[in-house]
Amino acid sequence: MSSVIRLQDVTKSYFLGEEEVHAVSGINLSIQKKEYISILGSSGSGKSTLMHMIGLLDSPTSGKIFLNDQDISKLSDDELSMMRNNNVGFVFQQFNLINKFTVLENVILPAKYTRSKLDFDPVQRAEELLKRFGIYDRRNFYPNKISGGQQQRVAVARALIMKPQIILADEPTGNLDSKTGDEIMDLLESLNKETGVTVVIVTHEREIAARTRKQIFIRDGKVVDKYL
Amino acid sequence: MKSAIVSQTEIIHLFKSAIVDLKRNKVRSFLTSLGIMIGVLSVVMLIALGLGLKNYIKGQFESMGANMIMILPGSGFTGGGGFSGAGVVGGAEFDERDVTTLRRVRGIDYIVPVTMKAVTVEANGKDVFGYVMGVNDEAFKMFNTKTIAGSLFSKGAGTSQAKIAVLGYTAAEKLFTNPKEGVGQVVRFSDQRFKVVGVAEKKGDPEQDSAVYVPYKSIYGSLNPKKTFWAIYLGVKDEKQLTQVKKDTEEALLKRYKEDDFSVTEQSEILSTVNQIFNILNLVLIAIGSISLLVGGIGIMNIMYATVTERIKEIGIRRAVGATRKDILLQFLMESVVVSLLGGLLGLIFSILIVLVVRFFFPAAVNGLAVAIALLVSGGIGVFFGVFPARKAASLPPIEAIRYE
Repeated sequence: MSSVIRLQDVTKSYFLGEEEVHAVSGINLSIQKKEYISILGSSGSGKSTLMHMIGLLDSPTSGKIFLNDQDISKLSDDELSMMRNNNVGFVFQQFNLINKFTVLENVILPAKYTRSKLDFDPVQRAEELLKRFGIYDRRNFYPNKISGGQQQRVAVARALIMKPQIILADEPTGNLDSKTGDEIMDLLESLNKETGVTVVIVTHEREIAARTRKQIFIRDGKVVDKYL
Repeated sequence: MKSAIVSQTEIIHLFKSAIVDLKRNKVRSFLTSLGIMIGVLSVVMLIALGLGLKNYIKGQFESMGANMIMILPGSGFTGGGGFSGAGVVGGAEFDERDVTTLRRVRGIDYIVPVTMKAVTVEANGKDVFGYVMGVNDEAFKMFNTKTIAGSLFSKGAGTSQAKIAVLGYTAAEKLFTNPKEGVGQVVRFSDQRFKVVGVAEKKGDPEQDSAVYVPYKSIYGSLNPKKTFWAIYLGVKDEKQLTQVKKDTEEALLKRYKEDDFSVTEQSEILSTVNQIFNILNLVLIAIGSISLLVGGIGIMNIMYATVTERIKEIGIRRAVGATRKDILLQFLMESVVVSLLGGLLGLIFSILIVLVVRFFFPAAVNGLAVAIALLVSGGIGVFFGVFPARKAASLPPIEAIRYE
């Protein structure tokens, strides 16, 4: 089996006062290497919670998550941090760049937290990525001085800097106009094709989801066959 | 690969990003470190002044030589818990007979009977306040006095009733403007006229510099009608004999006086008492100064808590891209340590500048202890008061932090 991520009976619940709420309940799914896939669900469907668990930012209440067939449910916070650093790249709707750092500094930030020896020079790789994304001339700008589309490219570059196996994009086009959104989607698609990085798009927009090769529909915290 | 130890490159990176963050809020960073700056300033200054006072007092005693024994009336400096000088009721009144007795003690280098009176000295149409010191010629050996003009008392003159005087530098300067011109002039006090035979070089000791030295017998009947001495100072030839000489001196005096009527004290005893007093004084001063350091530390903690709240989103982003709790903890800890050290350093620099100015009037000194306290304590305060906000930052769940708006 060559799944990057496999979820086995994963449930995430929390309490709202006395009432127990299942944000995600009993999900089984696996995402293969080199896959280009979307998770489609409406707001409140549990898709974000699911993404956070896939991205090792959150841990399930019950069930197991495997990353490269390693059960990560029992890992410590430090080990999860290192796994995120090595294996997962995030792209958020809000871009989530650090405004006091320049574009280049934002892109190399994950490399500051690595615990292993890198087989590349972070600055050099960051510059290559920025060149490729057409924003090299913005490398010394601060994020709030460049456009949203450019910021999202920076975020994608940051997600890629550590050569992760998987990129998780949470509504990556949500804050962009449709043209810029399309460009970001093109970028993610080409990255998947050219580098083989697994790309998971989390969205509530059918059109966005339709661009990926495979879709997973989420409703009320469960995987369903059809998106309604 | 890495465990509990923080590597050097990590420290450098943490330090750099701390500087970046502190620079972003220059005014706030400065105000935060101001608290520590004032704290360090007050501690260092208090130590410097305490030390200066100690050095000053020590210098006063040491200028009279280390192998010295002081004979004072009363139960004395170390025994009675304070100076009990001349005129203490029930104390011995030393006179010429005691000097003669003491001359027989073996191992003595010099004996100086001292009479001291504060008077107004007139000369050259001016009058100044000064001390008349009735001494013998050996006093100059004791004080290690040299002249800039004229000469000191000769052996015979020092024990005679000759109306001659050696002026301290300041006294001569006040009376004659150019101190050297005092030689050969006449000074008057208590209706007595004394011819100035010499002017002493500047000693830096206000009492000695404003003194008018006269042969002790020359003021018998006038300033010293009872022909008694304020104290008798003995010099010992060899430091090793100090204890023996002191014992012999006591025995010699006990033939005439009761035990409680006089005291025989070594210079070193006085010095150690002075040291003790000032060590305690210094501790009290440090404790007082530390209160402002504490306040400064609380200021740092307060600001760091605000900083953490302000930067929850940033913490979330850093955690998402792989920062561990320890990374976040160290980041915030480094910031508070840098702010605190900055304050410590500024405080140290300012106190050194102030001490340099104060030194014109007073021998204040910044010593290694003060520097060590400034840097270690301010660094320590950064860690101590920074660790709580930093722990708060580190313990934020990444998922909540990154969603925070």
